Amino acid sequence: MFKIGFSTGALAKGDIAHGIEMARELGLAIIELSALRLREMDTLVNVVAAQDFADFEYVALHAPASFDPSDEKAVVDTFAALAHSNRWPVIVHPDTISNFELWRPFESLLYVENMDKRKPRGRRVEELEDIFTYVPNAQMCFDIAHAKQVDSSMTEAFRILRNFRDRIRHLHISEVGSDSRHRQVSDGAFRAYNEVASSIPCDLPAVLESVVSESEAPLADASSELKRVTEFLAHAAHVQSSVRTPVSS
Amino acid sequence: MATTLATTRSERPVFTLEQKLGATWPNLHACEQATDEAIDRLRAAVGRLSTEDTSVVLYGSLARREFTADSDADWSLLVDGIADPQHLDSSLEIGRRIAGIPIKQPGREGTFGQLTFSHDLIHYIGGEDDTNANTTRRMLLLLESVPVGGADAYDRVLRNVLERYLSEDYGWVHGRNPRGVPRFLQNDIARYWRTMAVDFAYKQRQRGGEGWALRSTKLRLSRKLIFASGLLMCFSCALDSAVASLTAGSPSRVQTIIEHLWKLSRRPPIDLLAETFLLHDGLNGVAVDMFGAYDDFLGLLSDAEARSRLATLSYADAATDETYELVRRLGHRFQQGLTRLFFEEDATGIPELTRIYGVF
Repeated sequence: MFKIGFSTGALAKGDIAHGIEMARELGLAIIELSALRLREMDTLVNVVAAQDFADFEYVALHAPASFDPSDEKAVVDTFAALAHSNRWPVIVHPDTISNFELWRPFESLLYVENMDKRKPRGRRVEELEDIFTYVPNAQMCFDIAHAKQVDSSMTEAFRILRNFRDRIRHLHISEVGSDSRHRQVSDGAFRAYNEVASSIPCDLPAVLESVVSESEAPLADASSELKRVTEFLAHAAHVQSSVRTPVSS
Repeated sequence: MATTLATTRSERPVFTLEQKLGATWPNLHACEQATDEAIDRLRAAVGRLSTEDTSVVLYGSLARREFTADSDADWSLLVDGIADPQHLDSSLEIGRRIAGIPIKQPGREGTFGQLTFSHDLIHYIGGEDDTNANTTRRMLLLLESVPVGGADAYDRVLRNVLERYLSEDYGWVHGRNPRGVPRFLQNDIARYWRTMAVDFAYKQRQRGGEGWALRSTKLRLSRKLIFASGLLMCFSCALDSAVASLTAGSPSRVQTIIEHLWKLSRRPPIDLLAETFLLHDGLNGVAVDMFGAYDDFLGLLSDAEARSRLATLSYADAATDETYELVRRLGHRFQQGLTRLFFEEDATGIPELTRIYGVF
């Protein structure tokens, strides 16, 4: 009932083909092909050329999380070819963009992601508003873990969800620690996420970035994480469908 | 990163009110100018010492935008992140850099001019661990503070403090509170006001009367101002239609009101008062006198001779001292405005809230 999938990076780090294989083993219909490191772009191109993705209902691409401005044109060209030919969206970290002109032709296939607290921009509503002035037709990927790390009260998450409700097309779910690494969601993080349960667009593709690639039983851990996130989304959907009646004084 | 909540002088409600009333408040303008200059100097000196886990926060007259030549620069390095020995180095560096610019260092209580940790502010509300200094730091964060440089840690802590006051207020959460004013928060603001008043008497005794008249002056005006603005902040949850319409059980009610209160917290307290007066023409007459008294108070603090007189005045001379007599009159004019606002002008809806929440 929910569109939940995994990022290949969380499942198998840079081994994109293995990540896709694991996603199939998990029976997922949603997948994000991530080339988080610049060197993984060639692998991504080759995997996309070699595979048939017809068994996935939704495929998204994730651009590298860090690269030199001198590589930006090559990154854009690579992802433009993949995105436009397949109509797959491209998730980009706004702090990696030096030249917005290059990214504007992606139009609505460009999904700008809200950032973690280490990044110089794209973390908060005002910073995101600024970014969308340069790429006005871009959509958004809401990363709840990043939003919590930026503001543990979840007020910034609430503001982003409210202010960009019409742009958000894709969710990232995981937990980010003080080292800014993505990990499986703890009970404490779910409690925080419940603060904004009423604003989570549960009908959108939700991609887990909870890293299981380093665990002893990655498939079992991925399965467990999928179950827990499904329960969270079910709770959010329930909150949204039922407005509690105030208790009289 | 600075959140774009700052207002320019022309946008400040207190100056809109001045214009509406045809009044002239030159000392408020002079203080606005002096505050801008002081904050610019401080930002240049220490703004880059903030990180994603720490914010340099200014309190007192700088945050109220009432800085004068003799004002202290009350500051702290607010830490909200993993423990790092370098935090102390940054704090010491801030102290050194501020000492290098012509602005007075924080007062002698030791409440400011050092590290402040988010854990104490967020977790210790009430109870034995909520020391006088901790209460003061938390309340001033809510009522009169401004970050220079990065505001990430500052905003995060402010919102988390507000989250505690709201989500742990059972009556407020469950709709058992008649008008939706957050009582936990309001009680703590009232407690802080009473603490300031009691500590005035304590310091009077401990310091053998030294500086009592200056402290009395501030208690009558600027300290009372932040209590009044804190009350208005709480009452706004019942009076502001956008948030008052969110009843218990409304989705996102807590987050909406955290955001609402956070935005109010980031504004100078006199602007919160001025906004209320701007809404009600019935208060125009008293506004002229009340804000005029406050402007005169700032003029008094800006006058080196008068300030020095208040700093050294003895009890024995108070009854016949012209400067202190002026302070008393200013305090009474300011109080008359507050009395009208909080107890008499029913059209504002505020007297009703004062009756419900203000005392019991």
